[in-house]
Formats: sequence, C-alpha cells, structure tokens
Amino acid sequence: MPWMNRAVADRVKFDFKDMEVEFTKHTTNLHVKQEKLIDLLTHLREKEGYKLFIDHTCIDFPEERERFQGVYILYNPDTNERVIVKTWSKGGSLPSVEKLWACARWAEREAYDMFGVQYRGHENLRRMFMWEGYPYFPLRKDFPLGGIPEVELPSLTELYAGRTEPPSHDYELVHTRVPTLEDLERTEKSRLQKKAQLVLNWGPLHPGTHGTIWFLFDLDGERVVQSDVILGQLHRGMEKIAENIYYFQFLPYTDRMDYISAICNELSYVTAVEKLLGVEVPEKARYIRTMFAELQRINSHLLWLGTGALDLGALTVFLYAFREREKIMDIIEGNAGFRLTSAFLRIGGVHYDLAEGTLDVVKAFVKDFPNRLKEYHNLLTRNRIWLRRTKDAGVISREDVFNYGLTGPVARGSGVPYDIRKLESYAAYEEVEFDVPVGEVGDVYDRYLVRMEEMVQSLRIIEQCVSKLESLPKSAPYVNKEHPAVMSPKEDVFMDLEDMVKNFRIVVHGESAPKGEVYSSGENPRGELGFYIYSVGGSKPYRLRIRSGALYNLSIFPKLIQNGTIADAIALLGSLDPVVGETDR
Amino acid sequence: MTMLNSNGFVLTTVDELLSWGRRNALWPLTIGLACCAIEMMHAAASRFDLDRLGVIFRASPRQADLLIVAGTVVNKVAPMLKLLWEQMPDPKWCITMGGCASAGGPFPTYSTLQGMDRIIPVDVYIPGCPPHPQGLLYGILQLQKKIKEKGVKKYDKAFEEFKKDIERQGLVPREVTV
Ligand code: SF4
Repeated sequence: MPWMNRAVADRVKFDFKDMEVEFTKHTTNLHVKQEKLIDLLTHLREKEGYKLFIDHTCIDFPEERERFQGVYILYNPDTNERVIVKTWSKGGSLPSVEKLWACARWAEREAYDMFGVQYRGHENLRRMFMWEGYPYFPLRKDFPLGGIPEVELPSLTELYAGRTEPPSHDYELVHTRVPTLEDLERTEKSRLQKKAQLVLNWGPLHPGTHGTIWFLFDLDGERVVQSDVILGQLHRGMEKIAENIYYFQFLPYTDRMDYISAICNELSYVTAVEKLLGVEVPEKARYIRTMFAELQRINSHLLWLGTGALDLGALTVFLYAFREREKIMDIIEGNAGFRLTSAFLRIGGVHYDLAEGTLDVVKAFVKDFPNRLKEYHNLLTRNRIWLRRTKDAGVISREDVFNYGLTGPVARGSGVPYDIRKLESYAAYEEVEFDVPVGEVGDVYDRYLVRMEEMVQSLRIIEQCVSKLESLPKSAPYVNKEHPAVMSPKEDVFMDLEDMVKNFRIVVHGESAPKGEVYSSGENPRGELGFYIYSVGGSKPYRLRIRSGALYNLSIFPKLIQNGTIADAIALLGSLDPVVGETDR
Repeated sequence: MTMLNSNGFVLTTVDELLSWGRRNALWPLTIGLACCAIEMMHAAASRFDLDRLGVIFRASPRQADLLIVAGTVVNKVAPMLKLLWEQMPDPKWCITMGGCASAGGPFPTYSTLQGMDRIIPVDVYIPGCPPHPQGLLYGILQLQKKIKEKGVKKYDKAFEEFKKDIERQGLVPREVTV
C-alpha cells in the first residue's frame, strides 16, 4: 500500500509550517508539535480524507527528554494511502483524540495502561487490561518481562502431596501480583456509573462471550441503557515478549493471538518482517502460503458460523461446521504437524514442502465443500428464527466504520470494500482472482451473508493455487535460503555444513535487522491485523505494536447495544466475532 | 463392579458404587480461556464426541464436578476461576489442559499465572500446546482411573490445606455487594 506522497505532504506542510515530513523506506512520517496535533489530525481527516483510524500507540525512549512518543496511523480510503503522525508527549501526557475518532478511546486507554501516558480530555481514563490498583506500567523499558515477583504462591498440588526434595516440579515460589476480588470489583465500579435499575455482568467466564470478555450492562428492564466492556482477561503480554526475543522466535506467538486463524496471523507477521529485512519469497512459497491462509480463513469462518449459530440456539450447525473444520485441520496437520497453532510459515518461505498428496486432499475438499455450504444455507439463510434474530439488529453505518476503525467482514458488511488483499497485495493475492463481497444494510444478517460469501471466494482462490502449485516442478524452492537472515530448511541443515553454521548463527544471535520502521498488515478473518515494527537495528524489535482488528471491531459494541436488549447482545457479539487472544494480546 | 454373579445380582461396596457413578458422569464446567478451549470444543464436537464418556458440559458451576482449565490463566482471571471452583459442589476434580494452565506455558510474563496449581489443587495435567483432543480424552480416562483407585476421600485433606492456604494469602472471597 502506498504511503502519503510528496504532493500531499507538501500541501499539508503549507498549512502546518513547523511540521516535519520524513520519508522513510517504508513509511511517511509527519512529526508535529503536541500543540498542533489535534489541528493536524482534524485537517488530515476533514481536508485530506484520512478518515480511517488504523492505530495509535506509544514508544518509550527512556533517554529522551520527553520519554514517550505517540504514534498515530491513519488511512485514506479514496487514494489508498497511509500516513504516520508522530508527536512527543509533554510531561508524560498527550491530548486525547477521542472526539475525532471514537475508537481512539480504547487505544488511549491501552497506552495509558501500558505506558502510563496521561490523555488530557479522555472521558474515562482507566486501566485497559490490568486491574485498578495495579501499580506498574508494563511496556516501559525499565519493567522486566517477567514482572516483579512479590507474593508467595506455592503449588497446592505439591502442598497436598508434601514437598519433596528435590521438588517434584521446578518453579519459583514467589509470584507476580494477583488481584483480589475487591480489586476486580473496584475495576468494575470504575467503568460504569449506574444510571438505571441494575448492572448486569455478562462474562468474563460465560460460554456466550467467545472467550473471556467481561461486559457490563446497565439495564432498565430488558433495555440496555449503557454498557462497557472490560478486557484483559487474556492479556499475556505479547508485545512485551516481542521486544525480548528475536524476530523468528516471535512467530509461534502470533499463532496464539488469534488462535482460530493461526496461519493468517503468521502471514501478516512474516510479511511485515520480510519487508523490514528485505527478503524475497519464492513463488512456490507464496502460493503455499496463500492456499493455507485461505483454508484457514474458511476454518475460522466455520468456527464463527458454528458458535454464532449455537449462541442463537442452532446446535446442528455447530456440529456440522465442526465436521468440516476437522477436515481442514487434518490438511493443516498433515503439512505443518500441528492442528491449531501450526507455526507453518517461516521468514522467507514455509517450513516444509507440501506433503505428498496434499493437493489431492485439498481438491477433494474444494469439490465437497460447496455442498456443505448449501447445507448451512438451508439451515439458516431462510430460517424464520434466524431472520428474526439477525435482521436489522446492530446496524453499522458507513461513517461509523471509519469512526471506529472497523475492518474486515464487519466493514464490508456495511458496504465499505476495505480488503487488504486487494489494496496492499501480499503473498500471491495479486495473481489470483477473487471478488470482495459487501453488504448493503450493515446489520447482523449482512455480516452473516458476507462471511458466507467469503468462504466461496476463498474456495476460488484455493482452486487457483492448487492448479498453480500442480504446474510448478517438485524441486522448486519453498524457502529463500540464499538470504542471510533466512534459516535453511531442515533437510539441508542435516546434510550441509554451511547451512548448519548459518542456522546456528541465526538461532544464537538472531537476524540483524536494519534501522527503520514498518507498518504492514494482512486481511485476517477478523479484520486488519497489522504489525508496526520500530527497529533500531539489532536482532530484536525495539517496539512491536500489534494492531488488532478484533479489538477495534469490538470497540463499537457499546454503541450498538445501546437501547437494545440482552438477546440482541448475543447475536451482535457473534457477528462482530472477536477473539480474546487478539483483542487482549 | 466387583463381581457379576450368574444369579443376576452384584456384590459391591457403597464406595465402589459411588465411585463408579462419579467417574462415568464427569460433568465439566463450560469455560474456555484461550487456544486450548478450541481443542476442547473439538473434543466435544462431532468427531471426538466426549458425550460417549458421560462427559457433558454444564453451564453452571453448581451442576459441575469437573473443572477443565483450558487456556492461559492470567493473574486477572485467577480469582474469578477460584470463585467458580469454590462454587462447585464436592466432590470435584480439576484437569489442566495445556502448557499454560499447567505451568505458565510459553508466557513467562508479568501478567500470566505460572500454573493453575497455585490457585486450586490439580488432579491431572495434560501437556501440549494445545493438546490434541485425543490428549484430552486420555486425560479424562486417567482421571477416571484415579477416581477408581483413590476414591474421593483424599480430597478432604486437600481442601483443608487449600482453605488454610487461601486464608493465609487473604484471597478468601467475601460477599460482593452490587
Ligand atoms: S497451552 Fe498453548 S494452546 Fe494452550 S492456551 Fe497456552 S498457548 Fe494456547
């Protein structure tokens, strides 16, 4: 995807004289003084058409005078250009931009939680992931990855069985801080001031919330007067981990973010890292990647379909969808060796060549799947209960798509054809044909139809990939092992001294990345998954920010459910389809 | 069953009978925390079909006697899980599924609980990231075996220890006013 070009940058500079424009290799950065930040962002939004809010985060530079730098990434849907705006905090605070983009409220909360940056004018600046009363700011550079051990938490199993010498398992007795129920109650109270009759907690450990999301509904009878979402029940510190390990080591962690679409996550991540390192990917690898990413997309949509229907009472669809999921998982397992968190891709290619017979199995699947889709359609599409529950529920307007940074099927359901596969083609998406389905009304039913149609389109892509892969010779390379930062495939390592030494070097010292920054994203089943990597050289990223599609898609939930009922909440949440591993990271 | 007599009656002890009933109707609580929960769902769905073992997921802790901790337990969720565990009636068992729940897994970070056994006593640990559904099946079979051999008596002692321990840590849940 192109970045803001020189002409536009000059035009903006004309209005903002003291702004600095920086063209880096992969991005365009506008450096602005903090006082002018709101003006500049308003200008970009209103005059230049940078309507879609992609992300906001901070970077911590402990040696600098002002320490925290705020980073805003925006997107212009008309010219298909992105831009990064940077500004330094002043006395540890930044102005809040929630008046411009409603979803910024969540991004700012997160930056406050992780860095302790104050936002002036934020309506309710609270901890996003940790609980109220947690004293540290984990993403600051002086905070250790493992946290600060302070409470004694012995293993109860061991306590019961008697402590043996040497201990039956090896662990540290002293553990990081665990909240009490009072802490959690305080967290809840700080989020919502009760206005109506009763505050209902939905989740965090509720089967309908697709994981561990904690909803608060202020109810008047069955009508929701106001609501809020508490996240962080699966906050595992992914971004902190990324800063502490080598680029290739982080790959398996991306699987565990949006665990339903592991290969799509990997694809977004390796695309970003390859851009940074300047790695070319061989043709065969690109097609294998595309094929598996699309299989994974079908897999993910099937889970959405199964659980979404199950929430609305259609148990059969759940069992049917899981039957097909097993088939796809078998294909993935046959190639990657793992069903769910497959870690199949590598920087510069894929881990293994295609296993024997894969293409035949995939072809059989592609042939069989349309009939299964018909079954789902028969069960749901004209089903009276389904229609009553989904039609005209949770309508999202086009303005809100930009206002809340919505992406993926949620944006497309409202008629915004935002699909990274088309706009910033990666892997082999440029060379295959497919359509981007969009909805009209933007209700739950439209999002359902969009996802159903996406599965058909994915099948089309898979078919083209299969025929391409069949035409490629078996000996074609599947990993670009010439590049100094790419590990050689396993069979070479065992046979060739040079490859072994090279792998040894990478494993021990990591890849050495150049200085610079990259923002690159991929079209995940849950929206745009972006990676913003800020590198100061060396083998570890200085800052790796994960732009989660699911988080931004969820940010519109409190608005949509207002004046709705609890029953709507379930249908609505199913259609937004968040995965907690990705929203919380 | 100790003996099935040709005369059509069975001799057994009450303990044995109870344990037979308990181990063949393990009702887990429906809780999914992270990636492992997806594999747990797969184990319950069409192909692996946990219902065959009498394992039927219940949505309320009052009806459940098995807690399958499937996924990463972060510090913030730990007290909630413990509350749920305390709401489950005795006798009850706990299986940790996957590396995260068993020992922190790949997340040795500031926010992750390093092992579920620091909060509640665990009966069966299933390794893997995530374990295959077959792994979960095997774990449940192991638990059945454990119940068969050990019965449920031993747990009284475990709970005493456990109560003492949480009191010491000040983690005892109090009445929550809303
Ligand atoms: S053990 Fe692995 S698969 Fe299971 S929850 Fe932890 S990271 Fe996810």
